[in-house]
Amino acid sequence: MSAVAAKPTAGGAVDMTAMIIGIIILLLVIAATYFLFGSGLAFMALIGIILGGILIGFGVHFVPVGGAPAAMGQAPGIATGVAMLAAGAGLAGLFGGAWAAEQGVVVATITGAIGGGLMMAITCMFVTFIYVFGMGIPSASGKVAKDPITGDTQAEFKSQGTEGHGLPFVSYVGGVIGGLFGGAGGTLIYLMLLDLYEEELPGMLNALPGQVVPIAVTLAGMFAIGMFLVNAVLAAYNITGTIEGPHDPKFKRFPRAIVASAVASAVCGIVAIMIVAL
Amino acid sequence: MESIVFGIGITALAGALATVAGAAENTESDIGSQGDPNSQVQLAPQMGYIHRIFNKAVAGEPPAYGLWIALGAGIAWAFMAMQINPILAIVLGSGIAVFVQGVYATTAYLGRTASLAKFGQPVYVDILKSMTTVTMAHAFVAIFATVTLCHLINAALGHPFPLPLLGIVWGIALGAAGSATGNPFYGKERQYQNQKFGAGVPIAASGNIVRYAEAGERNSLDNGWFSAKLGGPASGVCFGLIVFLELWRTVLFEQVGAGWGAIIIGIIMILVFMVIDRYIEVWARKNYGPYTKPTEEASS
Repeated sequence: MSAVAAKPTAGGAVDMTAMIIGIIILLLVIAATYFLFGSGLAFMALIGIILGGILIGFGVHFVPVGGAPAAMGQAPGIATGVAMLAAGAGLAGLFGGAWAAEQGVVVATITGAIGGGLMMAITCMFVTFIYVFGMGIPSASGKVAKDPITGDTQAEFKSQGTEGHGLPFVSYVGGVIGGLFGGAGGTLIYLMLLDLYEEELPGMLNALPGQVVPIAVTLAGMFAIGMFLVNAVLAAYNITGTIEGPHDPKFKRFPRAIVASAVASAVCGIVAIMIVAL
Repeated sequence: MESIVFGIGITALAGALATVAGAAENTESDIGSQGDPNSQVQLAPQMGYIHRIFNKAVAGEPPAYGLWIALGAGIAWAFMAMQINPILAIVLGSGIAVFVQGVYATTAYLGRTASLAKFGQPVYVDILKSMTTVTMAHAFVAIFATVTLCHLINAALGHPFPLPLLGIVWGIALGAAGSATGNPFYGKERQYQNQKFGAGVPIAASGNIVRYAEAGERNSLDNGWFSAKLGGPASGVCFGLIVFLELWRTVLFEQVGAGWGAIIIGIIMILVFMVIDRYIEVWARKNYGPYTKPTEEASS
């Protein structure tokens, strides 16, 4: 076993006490929102924000990120940070979703998902392109003997002294799925906040509904980007460094990230709601 | 019909600007060693390899470009609100953002390099003088092109996000695409040019980066020259395709099937890129390697 594989894999265990405390905080925030604002638009916005946060936190686990070792062809994955790559894809999705906001929540959210997936599909293809044609290195996973999708054996393509390199097909598919989840989550948060702000801001600012649209769009967009980064960074801490994709043993840690993302999104969400609804 | 033709024209222009921005961004980050390969630039003196490579990696490329482009876009937006011509406003905004990048580059190089004093790594003032302006020039191209494409998306295509918000979104996406595509080429192919071609860098070789050029010691301008050959253009085409295809599918197909047209076209494009990726992967498996005999693989 080489140095990279010998890295401690501790931190994968689920701490039940922390999970229960997290769920209690989550329920408290949801209950507080219900008692403060009733079961109207604000409550629905909070539920949408929590759902969006969970989608982002879960989706980040699919993105194959190799960090610094990947930049030297020492480990498989994309040579950049987990949170940053997921943010790049998710925000590209948010861009598309926000554009389609008038088409309704379902179409806009799916448009956002496709935007994130497309960004990752193009980026991952270029990663493979650079590895193969720029560096002459074939893809090889360090975590599994065979690619779970294509069945390609991996070990004989791994160069000496490395943990693998490039993007095996399963990692590529993981990247696209991560982009889909990220784009959908970011767009959902944006749409929920946009609906709420467009409803509440005219009364608050004594303005016509048409006049508050730029403020509502800007506020919702800023909160969506902020909450996206919160959830992406939380998931990155859960992953601790690098992950190859859905076939990586670290992927099994995702339940922790789902609880953490739900709690963080609920706390951020109630702040975003209180700005206009209190 | 006229609006669709206008939209396609703007989409093509935005895609071209994104291509230039991606190429400039990656070359800038490679000259400054800002991507993940900075780990080796930082590690080398600790392993006893003193070098003359610029190192400004105190933030990843995506957040750094998110900041600079949002800054450029925000200032340009403010100037436009003061009724200044958009082109002049974007140039002024990008110029001010580049000065922030220059301050960032200077303090980052001094800070990161000074932290290596205990390993005998000097702070070269001539490096600071000659490299900083080059990174600033590349950063200006990247920021100007990206702010311009954001302005086109906002003003000509009617995206609801205001200019600074579009700056954050596309700045982070630019940094993500550029670092993902360009980093391995700089990290493996340039910094470890003395290692075997067609194989990853053995972990035991970490820190032993190439420090000498054809004449004298290698510096970051040599690295920029090298990565501008493939890593930069590939990053540019990657970011250009992302921007172009995202806009293209929306402009042409958003009205088809109440929004479902753009979704279906997006799915088709994802599948097309997936097929291309798989083709390249299989091509590499047939033409390169295997590095070990299958019998060894079976026994491991």
